[in-house]
Amino acid sequence: MDMLLNQYYLQIAVFVMVNAILGVSIYLTLSTGQLSLGNAGFMSIGAYTCAILTVKAGFPVYLAIPIGGIAASLMSIIIGFPALRLTGIYLAIATLGFGEVVRVIVLNLKITNGALGISGIPTLGTKISKMLSSFGLPQKFGGLSVQQTSTLLVLLILVLILVFLVFFCVRLNRSRVGRAFAAIKADESAAEAMGINTTYYKLLAFALGALIAGIAGGLSAHLTFFIGPKDFAYHRTVEILLYAVLGGSDLVFGPIVGALILTLLPELLRSASNYRLMIYGALLVTMMAFRPQGLISEETVRFWKSKLGRGSK
Amino acid sequence: MTNINLSIIKHKHNKDGVFVTMKKGFIKKWVTGLTIGALLLTTAGCGGGGTAPAANNDSKGEAAKIGVIAYLTGGGAAYGTAIKEGLDLAKDEINAQGKVQIELIYTDSRGEKTEAINAANKLINKDNVVGIIGPTLSGEMFAAGPIANQAGVPIMGTSTTAEGIPALGDFVFRNALPEFLAVPQAVEKAISTYDLKKVAVMYSNNNDWAVSGYKTIESTLKKNGVEIIATETFADKDTDYSAQLTKIASLKPDAVMVSSLYQEAALVLKKAREIGITVPFVGTNGFNSPELIKIAGPAADGAIVASPWFPGKADEKVQKFIADYKAKYNNKVPDQFAAQAYDALYLYASALEQAGTTTDRQKLRDAIATIKDFQGVTGKFAFDENREPVMNATVLIIKDGQFTELK
Repeated sequence: MDMLLNQYYLQIAVFVMVNAILGVSIYLTLSTGQLSLGNAGFMSIGAYTCAILTVKAGFPVYLAIPIGGIAASLMSIIIGFPALRLTGIYLAIATLGFGEVVRVIVLNLKITNGALGISGIPTLGTKISKMLSSFGLPQKFGGLSVQQTSTLLVLLILVLILVFLVFFCVRLNRSRVGRAFAAIKADESAAEAMGINTTYYKLLAFALGALIAGIAGGLSAHLTFFIGPKDFAYHRTVEILLYAVLGGSDLVFGPIVGALILTLLPELLRSASNYRLMIYGALLVTMMAFRPQGLISEETVRFWKSKLGRGSK
Repeated sequence: MTNINLSIIKHKHNKDGVFVTMKKGFIKKWVTGLTIGALLLTTAGCGGGGTAPAANNDSKGEAAKIGVIAYLTGGGAAYGTAIKEGLDLAKDEINAQGKVQIELIYTDSRGEKTEAINAANKLINKDNVVGIIGPTLSGEMFAAGPIANQAGVPIMGTSTTAEGIPALGDFVFRNALPEFLAVPQAVEKAISTYDLKKVAVMYSNNNDWAVSGYKTIESTLKKNGVEIIATETFADKDTDYSAQLTKIASLKPDAVMVSSLYQEAALVLKKAREIGITVPFVGTNGFNSPELIKIAGPAADGAIVASPWFPGKADEKVQKFIADYKAKYNNKVPDQFAAQAYDALYLYASALEQAGTTTDRQKLRDAIATIKDFQGVTGKFAFDENREPVMNATVLIIKDGQFTELK
């Protein structure tokens, strides 16, 4: 147990959770068949809004994070109107451009501190540990240090957010909105002919994705002490997209599993030192060669369901 | 290995355009698994061989474990490699002297802050190191420093020059001369030598470190009453500077100050000499690289930089370090990253010796904080009360393709 609650493992688990939330954000935009590469941009808007609010304006963290998400979401609606007229690769390029524009703006603004980034952001962990000590919690509590307890609590909050998001997505899929998303994904023209307001639903998916990306950005800013424009560059977008590509984008669990694997992998491969990125790359290539639809697809679920169903009889 | 590969091809061929049955999918999964397994095994084997710490320390009592977070793979791997080389050389010497035994545990940060955080957590909580050297970049330090500080583990940056790093906490140190201490020395020396009245300033505005250097240049110039007649910006990886330099040439400054990495600095110098700007150029640490001379050629003459590391110094310790480094690493001349890493490990060694412990992090921290009159290859060294280094830089000027001291 002590082994499991090591600060190192807890920290990795925290990053896994944040990345899983980002995975949900890309899943939502992909659920209407839109390939948007703007997630890092939205994440950056969320992170900076949130960090500026807490560091410079003294907002409490629990207020600043949702505000960051909403800011990202508003931005997505503004750029969504013109951008979502595009489809496929053209949309990808447009949203990719958007992400770069955000990065360059952040780089040149005074309030974001340009290339120097914002440092000294209060982390959720330190906030919680301060709160715990003010409640009179002793240095050691049930064999855990204050640091461990607070990281555990942070992890718990993140798990709750993720569980809520998964629940939301699963329910969404069974709703009118979810069916509309699926119809648009399958065939946009046919969906339009059936009377679905495709612009509305596409924009909705886009804005929801941006909201979640913004919240994830705010969370990550309050977990890493420091944000700089480099953190939200093009490579971050690709990383987020990889979660969906590796895990599969049919079901919400796909990108979550993708995020889990791709966040754990570099740490698991630490012993391979200089070769670890090579292995990482090789695994991705192998994946694409053998399972282009991603690890988890609807068939996988059906297959395991039938298999387990037979086993229990 | 070849067998497995062949079978992959066969399966793929069988399946072209054919409906995939469950059974075939199953076989495919196994083949994939085997390939991955084989890959992992072979590569992990290679990696282990390259970085296994010297195990012969154990015989001479318990070795102090010091973790290193360095930029070992990716775009800035050259920095991380130089740091590793400097550290390895220092470790061998220290262990041979026998006063303290040190074991180094390397972790790669890829120049990314989340990786740096994970690396710091791993070193502190899994490897139980007594102290940390690194990370390489200031941005990484802003993320990893607070982690070490919270856990009460001393952490020392050897190349983190941005302002505000030791302010992260009582356990955060650096032996890298920060820009705000080094740059003013170069600027002031240039002002007094060349009697500068009006200068132009250029900097790369998308590089955190270059912006910080620019701010220092600006404040030093203001303090000395020198007029800034133009401030021009560019971005990292730019290749064309004619617009900025043409404007500067028309204003006829007494000198040009540039804050950027060496690639950009070299191109700026080349272009400037080409369009006839012959005045001295004063640079931040980016100028302090042999690469600058390699790229800019004769155009680099007249470039001025302040550096804590000067290989031409007539100092016994410096010359011995260069000779040993050359002997160990294929005749390579150590750069300042290697030199500062080398000194950092000696700082740790002397603190460990003084603290008389190989595991007590608090004692080690206190011992580091009181270091005074330490003589390293980068000169005389001490920590001030804010854990900032107190050291002198040498102001260098490039003459005939060589760094020489500006007197």
